[in-house]
Amino acid sequence: MLSRCLPGLLLASLGCSLALASPPQERWNTPYAEKTAALELKGDIVRGESAFVICQGCHRVGALGRSDGSYPRLAGQHATVLIKQLSDVRSGRRSNLKMLPFADHQALSMQDVADIAAYLRSLPVPASQGQGPGNDLARGRQLYERDCQVCHGRQGEGKADKFFPRVSGQHYQYLLREGGLIRDGKRRNAHPDMVQAISTYSDDDNAAVSDYMSRLPVDGR
Amino acid sequence: MPGMRVLTPFLLSMALLLPASLRAADAQETVKTVCAACHGVDGNSTEPANPKLAGMDQEYLMRQLKAFAAGTRRDDAMSGIIATVDTSDFAKLAAYYGPQKPAPGKVLDAQLAAKGRTLYEDGNTDSGVPACAGCHQSDGKGNARFPRLAGQHQAYTLKQLADYKSGRRATDPLMTTVGKRLTTDESKALAEYIAGL
Repeated sequence: MLSRCLPGLLLASLGCSLALASPPQERWNTPYAEKTAALELKGDIVRGESAFVICQGCHRVGALGRSDGSYPRLAGQHATVLIKQLSDVRSGRRSNLKMLPFADHQALSMQDVADIAAYLRSLPVPASQGQGPGNDLARGRQLYERDCQVCHGRQGEGKADKFFPRVSGQHYQYLLREGGLIRDGKRRNAHPDMVQAISTYSDDDNAAVSDYMSRLPVDGR
Repeated sequence: MPGMRVLTPFLLSMALLLPASLRAADAQETVKTVCAACHGVDGNSTEPANPKLAGMDQEYLMRQLKAFAAGTRRDDAMSGIIATVDTSDFAKLAAYYGPQKPAPGKVLDAQLAAKGRTLYEDGNTDSGVPACAGCHQSDGKGNARFPRLAGQHQAYTLKQLADYKSGRRATDPLMTTVGKRLTTDESKALAEYIAGL
């Protein structure tokens, strides 16, 4: 009897320890039904413009955000990134209590999410984003090239198929705040490699690299 | 009946050419006996507690009538009155009041209105109040989705914000959030600014 149960027990406990030790690389972007569905829907730019109306009270017309960093720029961001982040906020994987009532299931359908992402991706990105003080750009560049460039790209262009956000054209103050939240484990849905890479950053390091990113070329796109 | 085949499309096109006020002519009786006492015959109420309806989108007015009938929007006066109105008249009433010419409102405190303007255009980033202009547009003229605010009585706007906050008006979860995030002083400033739009 015991011999028949033992393999099952062993398997069960193995399964348990696997779940606990599942590599964080998989957990940061685990598929879940809502996100997968939104990613598979075809986004429509025209419908997205109409659905985005309820977002522009904060993110502003043209989705250019605010240079004080209170609301990020969304214009020109990869649709995959927008769908992941929006789905993460909707499902509580990324905490954003300010935004939640304007993005939850009462406010937006999954089709709205896909449409808004398509619309935002299509928007122009003028080089008018808020920049940092510019006093430590050499250090910022050094950190960016060592820790960030591999995922976010030489020009800060990100990688759509990997869900890595574009950082060029983003407001300095927003990059600064999110960098701190990610480093301190408060954003919760960040790539663990990034959390690891910036775990030893001082506030000055965070500021320097945010400043460097806010000055990456935008070229209006 | 060969003449009829020619005549029918003609009559139909004539009907479409009639001004909205005439098409809604059969709502006149209800307007006179039920609505006008509070909202005015031309939709420009003179009593600050009662909303001006003139210039509001018909679809929006229709939604509100249905919301009062369904109880998702409640008001001491309207909730009782709506029960006396035939639901089949709702569309006619909306079609009557919507196209009326809105009378301008009056700003009573310019300093307060200036504060309201900032909030209307920029929101409050600390408390997460979005800019009103995001949905209602800078001119506050409104559309089918978002109501006209421009020129509305201060007292009425204030009451709506308070009713969203308290849940007495539950017609829009986004506005419930906005109502809860606004302070009383902010609501007063907004109502003052909106009156002058």
